[in-house]
Amino acid sequence: MENKAMKLVLSGAPHFVTGNDIQKTMGMVIIALLPALAGGVYFFGPRALLVTAASVVSAVAAEFLFRKALRRETHITDLSAVVTGMLLALILPVSSPLWMAAVGSAFAIIVAKELFGGLGGNFANPALVGRAVLLMSWPAFMTRWSPSLHAVAVDATTTATPLGILKLGGALTDVMKSVGVSEKSALYLEMFLGNRSGCIGETSALLLLIGAAFLIVTRIIDWRTPVAMVATTFVASWLFGRDPLFSVLAGGILLGAFFMATDYVTTPVTPVGKWVFGIGAGLMTVLIRQLGNFPEGVTYGILLMNVVVPYLDKIIPHKFGFVKPRKANA
Amino acid sequence: MSLKTFGGGIHPPENKEGTRNMPIERVPTPKSVVIHLTQAIGAQNQPLVKVGDRVVKGQMIGDVQACPAATIHASITGIVRKIEPAPQSNSKDGMAVFIEADGTDETAYMPPLDAFACSREEAIKRLRDAGVVGMGGASFPTDVKLAPPVDKPIDVIIANGSECEPYLNIDYRTMIESPADVVEGLAIAAHIVGARKAYIAIESNKADALPVIEKQLAAHSHGILMETVIVATKYPEGGEKMLIRAVTGREVPSKGLPFDIGVLCQNVGTLKAVKEAFVDGKPLIERGFTVAGGACTTPKNLYAPIGTVLADLVPDVIQISDDVHKVIFGGPMMGVAVPSLQIPVAKGTSGILLFNTAESKQYEERQCIRCGRCADACAARLMPMLLNAALLSDDLNRADAIGLIDCFECGACSYVCPARIPLTQRFKLGKDLLRNQRAREARHGK
Repeated sequence: MENKAMKLVLSGAPHFVTGNDIQKTMGMVIIALLPALAGGVYFFGPRALLVTAASVVSAVAAEFLFRKALRRETHITDLSAVVTGMLLALILPVSSPLWMAAVGSAFAIIVAKELFGGLGGNFANPALVGRAVLLMSWPAFMTRWSPSLHAVAVDATTTATPLGILKLGGALTDVMKSVGVSEKSALYLEMFLGNRSGCIGETSALLLLIGAAFLIVTRIIDWRTPVAMVATTFVASWLFGRDPLFSVLAGGILLGAFFMATDYVTTPVTPVGKWVFGIGAGLMTVLIRQLGNFPEGVTYGILLMNVVVPYLDKIIPHKFGFVKPRKANA
Repeated sequence: MSLKTFGGGIHPPENKEGTRNMPIERVPTPKSVVIHLTQAIGAQNQPLVKVGDRVVKGQMIGDVQACPAATIHASITGIVRKIEPAPQSNSKDGMAVFIEADGTDETAYMPPLDAFACSREEAIKRLRDAGVVGMGGASFPTDVKLAPPVDKPIDVIIANGSECEPYLNIDYRTMIESPADVVEGLAIAAHIVGARKAYIAIESNKADALPVIEKQLAAHSHGILMETVIVATKYPEGGEKMLIRAVTGREVPSKGLPFDIGVLCQNVGTLKAVKEAFVDGKPLIERGFTVAGGACTTPKNLYAPIGTVLADLVPDVIQISDDVHKVIFGGPMMGVAVPSLQIPVAKGTSGILLFNTAESKQYEERQCIRCGRCADACAARLMPMLLNAALLSDDLNRADAIGLIDCFECGACSYVCPARIPLTQRFKLGKDLLRNQRAREARHGK
């Protein structure tokens, strides 16, 4: 045995590693998004799939081609571009032109992610940057809402979102009318199930919460930020005199809280930072809804908080065996 | 009921089944041994023998007038053939004494010493003369550990039976096969430091060792209050500071040592060696270790003289498949990969792992995605991803400010990292760089 030339590898400890890599993690997020996507298809028709496909294909292609062009190693198999593409599609109206979805996700990948160094280097959520850019560039497409196919009172090809109705000065009763119900509790139920107009993947609280529960139970995401964001939205809306439950079910709060405010790269890693991020994002969202020109503020609420993450990451917890530094006394 | 434990930690596959029920097998006396003169944390020993000398098993062959340091003894009887540097399991070449067996069974042990009747100084001297060191891997001289500063009284002593490294079973087997020795050693150590309470802390996956130990308490505790404790099976439960936290609820202060909070922790194998040093007069010249891994076709628990070269155990004692790709001295989490089989068993060798190609897979490092799993896993409650970022930008001061030195180097963060960042390795390097920088600053009177 000794005489045989033996080739041994040397490496630092540990010599043992979990099987859970980036690809598996992203795969779990994709699985968690599938219920919401299925909901989008159910409520808005198969075109939801087309928009998603355009966005995902464009994201993956953009990442691949951009890294190839820069002669850098490509990492499309880590599935992070797929996640970005899916997330962007889920926060677009179903009537979005396919080319617009493709442009948005290419911008998200190249400008928001790759120019900052690729996965791990970006400071702002790529999907939200993509949406923000589309909203500024093609506002008409981005606010052309289709009603749910299963809404009781479908009499138009376009409609307004619940938050849009409020922004235009409407009351909650107008929202009920648009959904085709007469009781507040029925409105809550329709909104919880997702039977309302809105972005492809944002309407169904139920389906989003199923995906979120999956990610929390499998410990892919931390519960603190989304809980803080939803709770803050609830309380702040109530303080502004809005119906708090309606405010949480309307718009993209749940999608944003559980799938965007939990993005690893662009949110804090520190426990206190996670709470502050969630509270801040919720607060900004409500302020934009209440005082801004837009009916909805989740996109900018989270993007604004993305910017302060480096500061939130300075609030590190006490380490093991932490001793309060004593004041120097002679 | 939830078991006592610490915060953080991981649950890697235990992979202990292969050798769990294998009794410790004493290897035949090897034809030669390579005994490194310095095998403990502390000063470098000087040889006490010359080439050509005949040495007897148990005879002291290395010592130095310094503290901390641990003496070294001949582990077989024979002739000193060479004294020269040889590869060592810590991957640095160290001065070693090569002894060729002469086939006799002569021994030169010390006379027995009653630890409960002798003075404290005599007891500490005996531990030093026997070269006893921590056998869980750290190899810190036990005589120094059992003689804390006088202003740091010890009230609790813990026998560490929480062998949390995957694959390894030697501590478990020691508890099952020599429970009386472990308890006796614990009583001696408790007596030396004047502890009023002794715990034997065992991970829940080794709970069947509990009744075995408890049966010996009456006969061997020498009136010292002893209690067995089950702690959660979690890595790194057997880390000294973690185990102290789990058992007593006390945290060793940052940059401090267990005696700062009146606690002392000793590996069960070390306690057996303590017992042997007193009751049998036998220095630490042999030890048990687990041999396992996918490239080892004969996983076993062995008991061999210190200095036994791994290659000499092949193929009579252990067999290795052709697919062997990595050899590790220690466990998979904290062990050291070695470049060949020509490495001798040392006082700190708790296991030898022979990994096949699949087990030795190397991964490409990706950029940190800030998932936070490392922080969840960190038993020191550090933020490894931030330490990594600080070190990657060469900001040693920032790394220091957020606790680099408090890293236990347990490997949990690297284990969980989905981006395959060698965090632990980077922190070890960072700690070295930081210590060097601080030393430089001190020299320049900053």
